Amino acid sequence: MAKKVILVEDDPDDRDLFVIFYRERNDIELLPSVGNGIELIEYLESRPGGEGLPDLIVLDQNMPVMNGKQTLAFLKSNNRFSNIPAVVYSTYSDKTLIRECTQLGANMVVMKPIDKDGYQQMMDQFLLGI
Amino acid sequence: MEMKSNAAKSNAALHKRIKELERQLDEARDTIEAIRTGQIDALVVSGNNGHALYTLQSADHSYRVFIEKMVEGAVSLNASGLIIYSNSRFASMVGLPLTKVIGTHFREFVAKESTDTYDSIFGQGWSQDIKREIFLSSPGRKVPVQLSVNPLQVDAGSLLNIIITDLTLLKETEGALKDKTLQLERLNNALAKSNDDLQQFASVASHDLQEPLRKIQVFSRFLKDANFEQLPDSAKQFVDKIILSSNRMKALILDILNYSRLSADDQNFEPVDLTALMAEITADFELVIEEKNALIEIGDLPVVEGNRGQLRQVFSNLISNALKFTRANVRPSIVVGSRKIVPGDFGFIAGDEKKYCSIFVKDNGIGFDQKFAFSIFSLFEKLNPKSTFEGSGIGLAIAKKIIDKHQGTIHAKSKANEGSEFNIILPFTPINPNG
Repeated sequence: MAKKVILVEDDPDDRDLFVIFYRERNDIELLPSVGNGIELIEYLESRPGGEGLPDLIVLDQNMPVMNGKQTLAFLKSNNRFSNIPAVVYSTYSDKTLIRECTQLGANMVVMKPIDKDGYQQMMDQFLLGI
Repeated sequence: MEMKSNAAKSNAALHKRIKELERQLDEARDTIEAIRTGQIDALVVSGNNGHALYTLQSADHSYRVFIEKMVEGAVSLNASGLIIYSNSRFASMVGLPLTKVIGTHFREFVAKESTDTYDSIFGQGWSQDIKREIFLSSPGRKVPVQLSVNPLQVDAGSLLNIIITDLTLLKETEGALKDKTLQLERLNNALAKSNDDLQQFASVASHDLQEPLRKIQVFSRFLKDANFEQLPDSAKQFVDKIILSSNRMKALILDILNYSRLSADDQNFEPVDLTALMAEITADFELVIEEKNALIEIGDLPVVEGNRGQLRQVFSNLISNALKFTRANVRPSIVVGSRKIVPGDFGFIAGDEKKYCSIFVKDNGIGFDQKFAFSIFSLFEKLNPKSTFEGSGIGLAIAKKIIDKHQGTIHAKSKANEGSEFNIILPFTPINPNG
């Protein structure tokens, strides 16, 4: 069954790239993207029965209002959402970001890919881990 | 019985006599000791014909000369605080002739703000030795001095002796030192702040530069993947150039980030086996080595204490350069080894061979003119056109910064078209500045 994936990303180009690169994959179902952590929480809270909750949350790190790390911290401290696998993908990553996100409970921390192959490999990695 | 009693008596008398003689001997010893250490210049000896007084010749005179020659002022006060003796040094301190000083109350030379202190010194000084700093008033200025006060019993009664040390020079030096320290502190703070700013700048600039750059990378590739065939040939070339340039820019930004992070990284020093490290590095470059058919020769290398990751980067950069700047039609050869430290070289002294090691990385590549031997370690310094040799120009700057942080040195020797040799001198155990 196709895994439901939600992208939390403020950059419209990057949201488009998800659709462009992943719309033909039949192992995932892309939920409508949200622009930051607050919007994600609103989306998750609006599904009280657990119906339509994502199987994977992909978090951009650098977002307004509530960034990737902050969102991760909220998710992992919330009983209902803490077991939804979450990953962080970022334009830049360093040892500190990887360490912090891993400590907060991220399944994976990766650099944003720059081409089609990179995107496919990234999603393959994500799905392997869940 | 009587005999016995007499004998006992004379025995007791002898004991008494011995005790008395012992006491006299001790006294004589004390006197000799006192003379030897200069505590006295006259002594009274009790003899058969009453007391006899012995004075050391001219002792009094030499003391007076001594006191006159002192750099300190010296005065004696009587019970009411009147100066009954003063050396000329004190008179010059208060700017008056000696005749006017003697017979004046010492208190009159004390600056207004110090009179209370002086009064309390004068009060206590008769029973104990006191040292205190006050100001004297002298025409046109106040003189900071230290008074050291001690009472003296003489035939005529009690005197208060005061030694006055002029602290003007000391205070000036102290003040200047304080100013300099403050100035240094300010400079240090400014430097620390500007260092912080610089690092912040490098980090923010590099991070924020990466977002738009990634877009250029993504969409230029997009253009190439999706619409390449529809593009006119000239446009195809442009797309390729955009992709190459954006890749180069990415590498450059990562190198800057890397460079700026070097100052931030905490120093985890551990023993690093350079032989093992070089083996890892050659494995990393296996492909290029094969492709260029390069000869790599690794000699015996020492174990040093340092940051393994950073040292790896240094040697990795040097090997990468050696593999990059090769001459066409010459089989690349790279030799890495260590040399003994020779006392006399680079200011090394005997014993240094136990503290430092010298490692070289030598190639037979294109080399460079020796006049660039220093500038190659500067940030962004490139001697070769990028059309021939790709690179950011940061590699050697990073290497130098790392070696600096390990309290070592790195220098280069080269001749154009003959090859280069990089020499690294490292202490076996650098002092970790972070403790």
